[in-house]
Amino acid sequence: MSEVIVVTSGKGGVGKTTVTANIGCGLAMLGHKVVLVDADTGLRNLDVVLGMENRIVFDLTDVIEEKCRLRQALIKDRRFEELFMLPTAQTKDKSAVTAKDMQNICAQLREHFDYVIIDCPAGIEQGFQSAVAGAEKAIVVTVPEVAAVRDADRVVGLLEAKAEIHDPKLIINRLRVQMVQRGDMMTLEDMHDILGLELLGVIPDDERVVVATNRGEPVVTDEDSISGRAFRHIVRRMLGEPVPLMNFDHREGFLSRLRKIMGLG
Amino acid sequence: MQHVLGGAKDVPTMLVDGVLRSGQSINFEGNVVVLGDVNPGAQVTAGGNVIVMGVLRGTVHAGAAGNEQAVIVAFRLRPTQLRIANYIARSPDGEDFNPNQPEIARVRDGTVVIEAFPPGGERQGKK
Repeated sequence: MSEVIVVTSGKGGVGKTTVTANIGCGLAMLGHKVVLVDADTGLRNLDVVLGMENRIVFDLTDVIEEKCRLRQALIKDRRFEELFMLPTAQTKDKSAVTAKDMQNICAQLREHFDYVIIDCPAGIEQGFQSAVAGAEKAIVVTVPEVAAVRDADRVVGLLEAKAEIHDPKLIINRLRVQMVQRGDMMTLEDMHDILGLELLGVIPDDERVVVATNRGEPVVTDEDSISGRAFRHIVRRMLGEPVPLMNFDHREGFLSRLRKIMGLG
Repeated sequence: MQHVLGGAKDVPTMLVDGVLRSGQSINFEGNVVVLGDVNPGAQVTAGGNVIVMGVLRGTVHAGAAGNEQAVIVAFRLRPTQLRIANYIARSPDGEDFNPNQPEIARVRDGTVVIEAFPPGGERQGKK
């Protein structure tokens, strides 16, 4: 049984593409057959984050225009046998892909893959509406900021109204534990009060995500990083395993612990 | 100097005045000369030869109608992908090569080959 999941947020820059890439790699690491679809025509990024940019010959719009077959546009990951990506065009705009096109493509992809994960563009216009059209489930990504949570809330409403996607799951990205502890950042409870969604996971703010993203190697493959571990937990929760939320309080380093012990912290 | 152009010498040429940025594309049946850089995500498709008077970081397709004699010349050749006729070459993964001289790409024995320009030398630059 395959699932078609759209990763969306409303607001831009909260980490949709990073989440898509990491979840996809994480599922593939556990042996699931996964295809990641970039729906952000004209501002594609998923290829860069996955380190596949130099392999693109055909894309989603070529498939739609019948310039190639669907399988010719799929790019195989060099790390994981079971991971593929369907890029979109960079030199066209959102009007190149309609809701109907996405429904068609997703219907074809789900025949061959366990998971079809769609990286949605920011915004709620045509690009969003096409991206969500073929999906049956959604993951909403937000960061602990009032504006991002507001946009996430808007998107949850639109998912129900436009695509009949109910009960999306929530991922909170870039949480800064120290700031929350100081009372300077929205807490998980604050966000839950507003959105009321099931929490799929929390990704702590981590420099390693930036490094990994720039290198085209998703952080989920990094055994030592806390954000990689958070992504691996999310993947296990998606598979139905009850993994408790991480306790980030233990993540402070040796130096800060030492300072605390010495009464300097 | 030895000749480098195998064909498409007497077809029209389009001059592109400035940088081609991500998402911009040029499609022309003759030769294309870009007076600036071609950034990643930008694409040039030409029936003839392509000359970039700047850094080529994006994707260029020369001889797009099937002319295997077409060449691609750039002041600095650091492409995402090069295509000549039906041949495709991509940059190696995880290796950033930084040439310090103009270079030329053309098809030799069924492969896209990059050499120094003017021809005669090996690729030179920093890894």
